[in-house]
Amino acid sequence: MAHQEELESHINTSKTQYPLDPSSYKILAEVGRGMSAVVYKAACLPVNAAAVAIKSIDLDRSKADFDRIRRESQTMSLLSHPNILKAHCSFTVGRRLWVVMPFMSAGSVQSIISSSFPNGIPEPCIGVVLKETLTALCYLHDQGNLHRDIKAGNILMDSNGSVKLADFGVSASIYELNPVYKSFSDITGTLYWMAPEVIHSQSGVGYDFKADIWSFGITALELAHGRPPLSHLPFSKSLIMKITRRFRFSDYEDGANGDKNRKFSKAFKDMVGLCLDQDPSKRPSAEKLLRHPFFRSCNKGCDFLVKNLLQGLLSVEERFKEKKILEENSSEGFCLEESVVKQRRISGWNFNLEGFELDPVFPSERFDLEDEVVKQVRFGGEMIIREKGGGESSDASNSSSPGQVLNGGGGGGAGGGGGGGGGVDREGMVGSLVVLKKSLEDQREKVVNMIGILGGGGVEEGSNDSSGEMISLREEQLMQVIEKLRMELDNEKKKNFELGLELEFLKLQLSSTSD
Amino acid sequence: MKGLFKSKPKTPVDLVRQTRDLLIYADRNSSDTRESKREEKMLELSKLIRELKSILYGNSESEPVSEACAQLTQEFFRENTLRLLIICLPKLNLEARKDATQVVANLQRQQVQSRLIACDYLEANIDLMDILVSGYENTDMALHYGAMLRECIRHQSVARYVLESAHVKKFFDFIQLPNFDIAADAAATFKELLTRHKSTVAEFLSKNYDWFFAEYNSKLLESTNYITRRQAIKLLGDMLLDRSNSAVMTRYVSSRDNLRILMNLLRESSKSIQIEAFHVFKLFAANQNKPPDIISILVANRSKLLRLFADFKTEKGMLPIVLGLVAASFELYVKAE
Repeated sequence: MAHQEELESHINTSKTQYPLDPSSYKILAEVGRGMSAVVYKAACLPVNAAAVAIKSIDLDRSKADFDRIRRESQTMSLLSHPNILKAHCSFTVGRRLWVVMPFMSAGSVQSIISSSFPNGIPEPCIGVVLKETLTALCYLHDQGNLHRDIKAGNILMDSNGSVKLADFGVSASIYELNPVYKSFSDITGTLYWMAPEVIHSQSGVGYDFKADIWSFGITALELAHGRPPLSHLPFSKSLIMKITRRFRFSDYEDGANGDKNRKFSKAFKDMVGLCLDQDPSKRPSAEKLLRHPFFRSCNKGCDFLVKNLLQGLLSVEERFKEKKILEENSSEGFCLEESVVKQRRISGWNFNLEGFELDPVFPSERFDLEDEVVKQVRFGGEMIIREKGGGESSDASNSSSPGQVLNGGGGGGAGGGGGGGGGVDREGMVGSLVVLKKSLEDQREKVVNMIGILGGGGVEEGSNDSSGEMISLREEQLMQVIEKLRMELDNEKKKNFELGLELEFLKLQLSSTSD
Repeated sequence: MKGLFKSKPKTPVDLVRQTRDLLIYADRNSSDTRESKREEKMLELSKLIRELKSILYGNSESEPVSEACAQLTQEFFRENTLRLLIICLPKLNLEARKDATQVVANLQRQQVQSRLIACDYLEANIDLMDILVSGYENTDMALHYGAMLRECIRHQSVARYVLESAHVKKFFDFIQLPNFDIAADAAATFKELLTRHKSTVAEFLSKNYDWFFAEYNSKLLESTNYITRRQAIKLLGDMLLDRSNSAVMTRYVSSRDNLRILMNLLRESSKSIQIEAFHVFKLFAANQNKPPDIISILVANRSKLLRLFADFKTEKGMLPIVLGLVAASFELYVKAE
């Protein structure tokens, strides 16, 4: 009992103290779900039933070392900034770690975009959201912390318009680096936001402050267009593009010109351009960026966001429910093929894992279907891409028959489930088809690459393709080789480890015999 | 105190002296001083600590200069600054506490004329460890004091002091505090204490074998708390598999009670615990001088164990090899019977 008082106190002295036992919380609704974490809306009964978000993380699903979880969780409790979502407290409940946080009733900016602004939010709002986020980033960097996962899905809003950066600590992303449960392709969920030098380093070792600035720039584009650049491409292509060419804001905009009135100010474009410099050392620091004209001229406040972003928005719970229905419909088709499920994670699921909702990518990808072929041509202005665009569409028709089979099954199930779900069901099907198509395309490419590497396909390629394609193939082959070497290295490491163990074991036996 | 003009940048030595003066002030801090004046001074103190930090760690514009670091370190430990800083820590605000913690951490690694003078200082002021350890009982200070403590026990003599003090026993409770951050911090410190300095640990474990493993088994391995069990079984494996602890290991794997606990952990539904438990269990099986009661337990459960291991084999990784070895030695052994 003597313990109880100090136990119930919390690191943060000045504020309300949140209890450390699960019975003090009443779970109200599920508002997010990821690989190893579920996010609930809950009421904290002893604190006037205050609304909280509880992220419940399955610790047994990860072999993640505790050290890392500890450090990140501690960092999170020791931060104190109006634009950073801080944990009230965390404690374990059986095998799960519960992280209790303030409930941000408007949810993530990403989910706001996908439910109300599929083509991006107005520039004045972007300014406010980014400025608030950047202030948080300044603080983090000043403290010597990196965020490592900046994206609209991790920028949360409250109904009063306040903006908070979330989820660097005990987020599912920790577990994403865990090789036991996830293959390389699984960690790519956030890779669209990742700086080229980070991707190069493969394991995120090369991460520094400037990589956060890159992600910040990508997030700016995400807010402007409703999705991150290159997200219409399967990740491997996005990767190659990011590494091999300078990514420019203007390219993006040219391509997205489907709607004409999307004009952005010079200051905004300039700001994004600075963030997306290939050379990390040329990107500005967060502090310097905050002094950029785009942010200096941005003097609107939270009220502005309430009026312009949050009007008529569904509640976080409702949004999650809707997405879940969508997910369920599409996932029925997915279960049949494992690789498709993986692909889906890349294009949809992982994006919003840490935020308060799930799906947004499918709807926007539907537009991409037609647009993107055009966009790709504009974007690169090279043969390679048109070739690929062509490949994509022919592939789509190839893949349509298995897709229909899948959907036949899925649709039937969903039809039986709910009478009113007809429209939603269709969206789900389209989503799953798109994903399936991409997965097939991806696989096809891998096969082509494999053939290329093995030497057998040399003739075939040479006969079919222009020199532009050759270059792109060469790039992809190199990527493939790198990937292969990396796997070999991993294998060697594993073998080395095994041998070490065996040695240890033999030594042990030896020493016990000599005893 | 603050001149009207921007004065020359202060030297590291000046900064440390001013910090110390303000710490003395904060420490005495009786009610006779006016609140506003006090606040101003505390603010000043926070700024100074931040400046110390930026000398030691560098900042966005500059890397740390080793000369300046050495001067700072020397002046810091010339007098009792560290004690003052630790005592006054609760009076600082959150940001200053974090800065101070980082300063203290960094100082432990600073060499002055290729000596770790922090170590000399701590040996002369070893009672400071008592304050740091008791920090785990104070929710507000736990993470700061805990981080400082972990840095201090990088010095072997300091770690030995903590291990040999009565403090060690408290860790069995700290690890199970309900506040995850604090419990995990205590667990990290505990692990550091029991793994970092091999010879000290080996000596400690052999001297304190009886009570230590009795507590370890009953409080940690048989805890009702999943995290505690999982961390404890991992640490047990780390300790026993370390060659410097081979005497302790031999003793541990000759106990029937220990085997019973390990076999129960093997049956856990948690894969992580199972696997860690296996790494310890294999030591029991590999022991060439198994006592009769251990043999009879192993033999009685032989088929069940082999079935369990067969399940493990489907897991990827290095387990199959080790399993093969164990199973083989097991077979051999049973045949010899």
